[in-house]
Amino acid sequence: MTQTNSAPPPPPVKPAKKSPFRRISIIWLVPLIALVAVLGVAVKTYLDQGPLIEISFDNATGISAGSTELHYRDVTVGVVEDVGFSDGLESVIVSVRLHNDVAEYVDDTAQFWVVRPEVTAQGVSGLATVLSGVFIEGIWDSAPGGLVEKFTGLADAPLQRLNDEGVLLTLRAGSDVSLTEGAPIVYQGLNVGKIGKTSISQDGTTAEAQAIIFSPHDRLVDTATRFWDTSGFSFTLGAGGAALDFTSIASLISGGVTFGTLVSGGEPLEPGATITVYADEATARASVFSGDEGETLNLSAVFEENIAGLSVGAPVELGGLNIGRVNSLNGLVDADRFGDNRVRLVATLSIRPGKLGIEGDQTEETALEFLSGRVRDGLRARLATTSILTGGLKVELIEVPGAPPAEIEDLGDAGPRIPTTASEVSDVSATAEGVFQRINDLPVEEIMTQAINLLGNINALITSDGVRSAPENLNGLLADARGVVNSEGVRALPGQMNEAIDQLATLIEGFNEAALSERLGKALDDAADAAKGVNSAVEGVPDLIARIEGVAANIEEVAIDKMADQVTELLTTVDSFLNQQSTRALPESLSGALDELGAVLVQLREAGVVETAKDTLNSASNAADTFADASRDLPRLIEQARLVLSQAGTTIEGYQANNGLGRDARTALREVERAAQAVSSLARAIERNPNSLLTGR
Amino acid sequence: MKTAREMDLIGCKRCTRVSPPGTGVCPRCGGKINSRDPKSLQKVMAWWVLGLACYIPGNLYPMLETKTLVSSDSSTIVGGAVELAHHGAWGVAFIILLASVVIPVGKFVIILGLVIGVHRGPQVSDDLRQKLYEVVEYIGRWSMVDVFVVAVLSSLVQLQTLVNISPGRASIFFALSVVFTMLSAQSFDSRLIWDTGRTPDPADPQPEGTGPAGTEKERTA
Repeated sequence: MTQTNSAPPPPPVKPAKKSPFRRISIIWLVPLIALVAVLGVAVKTYLDQGPLIEISFDNATGISAGSTELHYRDVTVGVVEDVGFSDGLESVIVSVRLHNDVAEYVDDTAQFWVVRPEVTAQGVSGLATVLSGVFIEGIWDSAPGGLVEKFTGLADAPLQRLNDEGVLLTLRAGSDVSLTEGAPIVYQGLNVGKIGKTSISQDGTTAEAQAIIFSPHDRLVDTATRFWDTSGFSFTLGAGGAALDFTSIASLISGGVTFGTLVSGGEPLEPGATITVYADEATARASVFSGDEGETLNLSAVFEENIAGLSVGAPVELGGLNIGRVNSLNGLVDADRFGDNRVRLVATLSIRPGKLGIEGDQTEETALEFLSGRVRDGLRARLATTSILTGGLKVELIEVPGAPPAEIEDLGDAGPRIPTTASEVSDVSATAEGVFQRINDLPVEEIMTQAINLLGNINALITSDGVRSAPENLNGLLADARGVVNSEGVRALPGQMNEAIDQLATLIEGFNEAALSERLGKALDDAADAAKGVNSAVEGVPDLIARIEGVAANIEEVAIDKMADQVTELLTTVDSFLNQQSTRALPESLSGALDELGAVLVQLREAGVVETAKDTLNSASNAADTFADASRDLPRLIEQARLVLSQAGTTIEGYQANNGLGRDARTALREVERAAQAVSSLARAIERNPNSLLTGR
Repeated sequence: MKTAREMDLIGCKRCTRVSPPGTGVCPRCGGKINSRDPKSLQKVMAWWVLGLACYIPGNLYPMLETKTLVSSDSSTIVGGAVELAHHGAWGVAFIILLASVVIPVGKFVIILGLVIGVHRGPQVSDDLRQKLYEVVEYIGRWSMVDVFVVAVLSSLVQLQTLVNISPGRASIFFALSVVFTMLSAQSFDSRLIWDTGRTPDPADPQPEGTGPAGTEKERTA
């Protein structure tokens, strides 16, 4: 201030520059620019914003607004802006803000699905989503077709992705084949395709699955190609060793399908063609020659009768030719249609058009047309017996003359229905049943038991020792009897008698000469008596044999089993009796006596004592008397033997009451023996003292 | 004590030489001089508005984005502080809240109050206003603590997919907000405090509707 006061030099004064904006600070430009920038960004963002599309899903697992992205060829082309519900909360609506550059292409061909991590037997997919979270994948064709704003999302990834070229097929399989979703289609060990979503066919009889065979392998498939199941493994043991066969571990676990073109001459497949999958290669090969089952006409038939015996797989025949099989069996209750609540048998027949012999195209339609025409002519389905024994049934299509008019009805989802007629099964099976019932009722078992018992008894009888030994004993007895008869003594007896008679004749001649014929006659009479006695004794022998026979008969009649031993014993005793020396000696004694007699007569003749002839003749007469007496005793002896045998017979007959048979028989036989000994001693006495014959002492 | 202005002099802010009124360029250092910055309050308000505009997204957008293997997490400044408080880290939460909320908001309020005080007449003493101004000037840089934390974290924690921390969108806005408020505070010509403070009496001739700049203008003119 002092400086100011001491008059400082006037500083050069420069007026400030005038600026047109001097009242307004240039700094305001900064917020202005910021504002413009913000507005610019906002406008650009708004203008760049793509359209909003809505995709509905069953659920929104893992989807979150603002972060879940929409991918196309693994490039982000949109972001989920909002996740909400449809009306009635039936599904989840995911709103996706698309990028502008793809919006045009998202037309009605677009498909969307949620990619989630998935672990299956075929591998792991969507692993990236474990860390990044799920994303929505979309595919659409490359032709812009105008934006569509509402879509229904797929539950799973579609079989044919964007970059997959190939042929799409529908595989069809019966219950013996397992179609697994995601399973590979293997050809020569390579995965050439894939099975997609599986479902049950509309009529519920088969399983169906979409399948794709990727290019360039799709050229391997044509109409002659057969598909078969390779899941599981096969084990064969043969001359070449054991073979374990499975295609791949993945197939083993999850199933798989392979194919082969077994014959040439197939035509290219149309996309979407339906192909049957066979259970194994053998079946598939067989199918080449049995005709393609690819297309079948399914007819249903309602049978009034409920007859057991029709089973799934039973043949369907037309005029004896197998044209198909029974596919399924169900009961049907339809009070409105039939008027009662009875359960009726509904059989689904799957008929192969190729078997009908239609000219031209052999398709479902032509087959149905053909059958419709035949039905108008009276063709009906009926149940018929395949086998009388098993009661198995088949379905026959036959023409019934004069059948009430009927048509094949079309029942919509249930398919066409062929009219039926009365079955031809019950009679045959009922008759057969009756026959079998009657056979069944026979008391076979009782008869058999009795026959077995009878045979057992017969066997026991035949094999018993007694029966076996009885004939031998009889033989022995008869042989002994023969021995007695054939013994030299007996044989010599007639000769000696002859001699004696010759000597007698000589003697008688002497007597005659001595005119002693009367005495001689008497002596001869006596001799004749003696001879008679011998004769009667001999006559008694057959009687004895008859008795023995009687005894044998009795033996047969009594309880042989128990008596056999005793009878044997008896016979042995008889045998031993006949074998005894004394018995044998009897004829010899007789012969000896005759010899002595002869000697006496010779002595007499040589003595020539006529004086004593009278005495001699008397003595002779006495001797003859004595001999006759003795001879008369012989029949008695034989009679006694007969009595003994009678007694033996009686004893045997009364055996049951008298156990002492053997003893009695033995006693009786001993008596016989003693009697024989008596005869023998008599003979010996005659031998010792031949004179006693003449002298009578 | 009188101000240079009251003595019809102009003080150079660079070399502190005083010049007679009407001087535009300092005769000693050649700097552009004026008694009062005529557009000071305009500048202050311009930066202030920008700072506030940046502060709003700075708080609404996430400050930090933490991506771990299985989850990604992003939190705003206040949200993060609340989360820390939930986990029991009251101290850290307090510091974050202080540096990111209390200080910036306080700055906005103080700067606005100073401007209003200059424009409409002070409600508090010059001394307090001067202290407040100094505090704002001094403390403004500390608001960058938050931004620094984010910067350090995101440069250190870069373990690729395992754990990855990256600055969120808010960090830029927040940093800009801090920068703008600092510029705003610096734009304030503290000498204006004295002008209004010296004339606390209602008889002070300040016409309604015109800012101090206008008054200044007239006077310098």
